[in-house]
Amino acid sequence: MNVLKYAAETFLFVPFAAIVINNVFSKKMMEKCFHLLTGAVALSQIFATLFCIYSMDARGMSRFEFFMLEELYENDREFFCLTPVTLIFLLCIGIVAFVSVMVAKKTIDAKKTSYVNLLMTLIIGMNGMVMVNDFFSLYVFLDVVGLSSFVLIAMFRSRKSLEGSIKYIIISELATIFILTGLAFLFMQTGSLDYMDLNSSLLQNSSEPQTMLLSLSLILILSGFFVKAGAVPFHSWLPDAHQSADTSISILLSGIVIKIAGIYGIYVLTDLFSGVKAIQTALAAIGILSIVAGALLALCQSHFKRMIAYSSVSQMGYILLALSTGTTLGVVAAVAHVFSHALFKSTLFVNAAAIHEQAGTLEMDEMGGLEHRMPVTSFSSVIAFLSTAGIPPLTGFWSKLLIILALWTAGNPVLAGVALCASIFTSAYFLRMQKKVFFGKTPEHLASVREVSGSIKIIEIILTAITTLIGILFPLVLIFLQSRGIL
Amino acid sequence: MNGWILILGILVPLLGACLLPLLGKIHEKLRDITAFLLIVAAFVCAAFALFGVFSKTPVSIRFALPLGLSFGFKGDALSVFMALTATFVSAIIVLYSFGYMKHYKNQNEYYMMVCLFVGAMMGLVYSTNLIAIYTFWEISSLCCWRLIGFYREDITVQKANKAFLVTVLGALIMLVGFMGIYGQTGTFELSAMQGVHIPAWTVVMILFGILSKSATFPLHNWLPDAGVAPSPVTSLLHAAVLVKIGVFAYTRLFVLTFDIHASFGSAVPTIAAVSALISAGVAFRQNDIKRVVAYSTISQLAFILLGLSCQNEIGLVGGLLYILAHSVAKGGLFLCAGIVEHALHTKDIRKMGGLAKTMPVTAIAFMLCAFSVMGIPPFSGFFAKYLVIEGILASDNVVLGILFIVGAVMTIMYLMRLFVKVFLGPPAEDAPPVKEGTPVMVISVLILGLASLLLGMIMFLPSQLATMVGGVL
Repeated sequence: MNVLKYAAETFLFVPFAAIVINNVFSKKMMEKCFHLLTGAVALSQIFATLFCIYSMDARGMSRFEFFMLEELYENDREFFCLTPVTLIFLLCIGIVAFVSVMVAKKTIDAKKTSYVNLLMTLIIGMNGMVMVNDFFSLYVFLDVVGLSSFVLIAMFRSRKSLEGSIKYIIISELATIFILTGLAFLFMQTGSLDYMDLNSSLLQNSSEPQTMLLSLSLILILSGFFVKAGAVPFHSWLPDAHQSADTSISILLSGIVIKIAGIYGIYVLTDLFSGVKAIQTALAAIGILSIVAGALLALCQSHFKRMIAYSSVSQMGYILLALSTGTTLGVVAAVAHVFSHALFKSTLFVNAAAIHEQAGTLEMDEMGGLEHRMPVTSFSSVIAFLSTAGIPPLTGFWSKLLIILALWTAGNPVLAGVALCASIFTSAYFLRMQKKVFFGKTPEHLASVREVSGSIKIIEIILTAITTLIGILFPLVLIFLQSRGIL
Repeated sequence: MNGWILILGILVPLLGACLLPLLGKIHEKLRDITAFLLIVAAFVCAAFALFGVFSKTPVSIRFALPLGLSFGFKGDALSVFMALTATFVSAIIVLYSFGYMKHYKNQNEYYMMVCLFVGAMMGLVYSTNLIAIYTFWEISSLCCWRLIGFYREDITVQKANKAFLVTVLGALIMLVGFMGIYGQTGTFELSAMQGVHIPAWTVVMILFGILSKSATFPLHNWLPDAGVAPSPVTSLLHAAVLVKIGVFAYTRLFVLTFDIHASFGSAVPTIAAVSALISAGVAFRQNDIKRVVAYSTISQLAFILLGLSCQNEIGLVGGLLYILAHSVAKGGLFLCAGIVEHALHTKDIRKMGGLAKTMPVTAIAFMLCAFSVMGIPPFSGFFAKYLVIEGILASDNVVLGILFIVGAVMTIMYLMRLFVKVFLGPPAEDAPPVKEGTPVMVISVLILGLASLLLGMIMFLPSQLATMVGGVL
C-alpha cells in the first residue's frame, strides 16, 4: 500500500519539486537543461501511472484514496482518489507533456525557465483536477489550469498570440464564473460538494422532481465545461488560442488541456447525475453539433494549425456523444477516445511544428510537394490523419467503434449513424491538407526544405509507432477489459 | 493443417509489405523479387487451404473477444476461390511492374502498397466477422488512394481523393448497416447469423458500400477517373482485386449468409443491368484506351453482380467463374494498354493504329484477352457468360436475359472497335517509331492471354470449386 501511495504522491510532488529546482539554480544553467528537467517530470508521470495501473490491478482495487503528507483529521474522508479512469487521464497528461517538451526543445528559444515554471503549474493543475475528491477543489485546480495556459499562450508576446490569449482568458474566466456559481447553487441544495455526499444526497432525492435551483446549477456547470471543452457553439476561443500559441503549447492545449478542463469535468458530472436525462440529451445534442460543425469548419481553413484545432472541436463531439450514453461502455469508449485523440492530435501538432521549423510557414496555400523533402513528417501525418478519420486498424478506429457501439446499444442508432457518416468530412479535410502540403509542385521558396532533425523527428516516429501498435493490439485491451469484468 | 495457414497467408503479405521500403534501400532488385515472392506465398497458402475445401473440412481459426467482436478466419470454397484468383493475377501484375515501373520515383511505396493490398484482400476473403471485413476493406481503400495518386500531380491526387472519398463513404454507410445487424443479433460474427433475416434498410446501406466498391451505377464514376494511375495499378484495382471486393461481399453476405427480402432478388439485378448497359454505351464514346477498358470493367462487373444476384445455383456459379475469367482477361487488357501507352506516350486511340506490325506479341495477347471478355468460345469468358445467362433465364426473368445479351453484343462491338483502331489499319500520321515492350512485360501479358484461353479448356477445374460454393443454395 505504501509504495502505491508514494507513486500516487509523485503526481503532485514531482512537478512541484521541478519548480523549486528550476528557481533555485542559476537561470543560465536551467536554460541549458530545461528540457531534461521537464522531460524527466513527464517521464516520471508516465511511469508512475503505469506502475499505479499495474499495482492497482494486481491488488484488484477499483479505487485508491489517499492524502498528501499526513492524515489531517480523524474522519476517514480522503482528499485524493485514483480510479482507472483517472489513471488513463494521468497517462495522457504524461504523454502529451513529454511530446510538448520534445517539441519545445526546438521551438522555444526564449523564456525557457518561465516555460518550465508554467508547464509544471499546468501539470499540477491537471493532475490535481483529475485526482481530487470534491467539486470545489476541482474548481480550484481548474483555475490553475486556466491561468497557466493563458500565460503560456501569451508568453511569447506576438500580437497574434496576445489576441488569442485575451480571447481565451475572457471566455474561459466566464466559464469558471459559471461553474463557481453553479457550484454555489449546488452547495445550497446539498450542503456539501464532496462527490460521495453529492452522490448519496442526490440518490435520496432522485425520485422527487428536480428543483429549479438544481436545474439552474446544472445548466451553469455544464455550459462552463462546454466552454472549456471547446464544444460548438462555445468553441470560438479555441481555434484562435490554439493557432496563435507556440506549437509546443498548442500540443498541450489541444492534446490534453481541453480534455482535462472540459471533458473530465463533464465526466464527473455525468457520473454523479447519471439519473438526470436532461444532461444526457444536452450532451448528445452538443456532441453531434460539434462533430458536424467542427468538421465542416475545418474543411474551409487554410492555416494548418487552425484546421487541426477545428478538428479537435469535432473530436470532442465524439467524446461528448460517448458520455451521453451514461453506460459503462460509453465511459470506456470516451476514455479510449481521449487516449487516442491525445496520440493523434499530438502527432499532428508535432507535424505542424516540423513544417513550421523547416518551411517557415503554416499557410497551406503556400506549401506543396513536401512529401519527398520531409518523408517522416509526411508519413506520420498520414497515419495520424487515418487514425483521426477512424480508418482501421489504427487506435482512432477502435475508440470510434466503441463509441458507435455504445451509442447503438444505448438505443441511439440515428446518432450513431450520423456520427459515423460525419467522419467522411474528417477524411475530406485531411485529404485536402495532404494534397496541399505534401503533394503537388514545390514552390520555389521551399526548394531547400529538408526533413526536420533531432527531437521532433524522434517524437514523430515514437507517436506513429504507438498509434499503429496499440491499434493492431487493441483486441488484447478488449480481452483485458473483459477479464476484469468491465465489458 | 489448421487455421494458422490462413493467418500466414494474410500476415506474410501484410507484414512483408512493411519490410519492402527497407529492402528497397538495400537493393532494388531484391525488393522487387521479395514483393513477387510475398504474393506467391499468399497463393501457396490459399492452395494449401484448397485441400481442406476438397476434404470437406475447411480450415478455420477463431479468436474470442467481448462485445460480439470475436473474429476468425475460414478457408471455405468461396474464400479460397477468391484468394487463388486474386493472388494469381496480382503475381503476374507484379511481374509486369518489374518492367513498367522501372523508371519512376516512389517505387518503394508502390511495391509496399501492392503487397499491403493483396494482404488486405486475403484478410477480407478469409474473415468471418463483419468488423474484420470492414477493417480490411478500409485498408484496401487506403492502398488504392496512394496507388491512384502515384504520380503525385494535382490531377492524379484529385482523382485519388475522389476514389478514396467515394469508397470510404460507401464503407461508412455499410458500417451503419452492419451496426443495424449488430443491434438485431448482438454479434458481428457471420457464423452466428446464418440464415438470419435482416431488415431491408440494412441491406440498402450495405449495398451502398458494395456498389461503391464495385463501381456499379450510380456510384461508378470514380473508376474511369482512376485510370490516371500507372497501368499495373489500374490493372490491379480495376481487374484483379479492388472491384472484386464488392461482388465478393455480396456473395458472402447476401447469397451465403443472410436472408434478405425477396424484392432485392429483382431490384439488384435491375440495377446491375442498367449499370451494364449505360457503361457499355459510354465505352463506345471514349477515345482514351484506358477509359474504354475501364467502362468495360464497370459493364462486366454489373454482369457478375447480375449472375450472383439471380438467386439460383447456376447463376451463382456463373458469376463466380465470371470473376475468375474477368480478372485474368481484364488484367491482361489493362497491362496491354500499359505497354501501348509506354511505347506511344499517349492514351488517345485516335493517334494510334497499325500497332499489330510493330508490337505483334502485345497485339496477340490483347486479342486473346479481348476474346475472353467478349465471350467467344472456347475462352474462359464464354463459359462464365453462358452460365450467367442460363441463371437469369432459370430465374424466369426474360427481360433481363435480353438486356444481358444486348450488353454482351455491345461488349463485342466496343472491344472490336478498340482493337481495330489501335492495332489494325494504317499507322497514325506523325506517330513516333514504336517498339515492343520489355520482355518481362510482354511475357506477363502473354501469360494472362494464354491463361484466358487455357482456363477455358480446363473450365471443369474451377467450376468444381465454384459448384461447391453454389452447393449450399
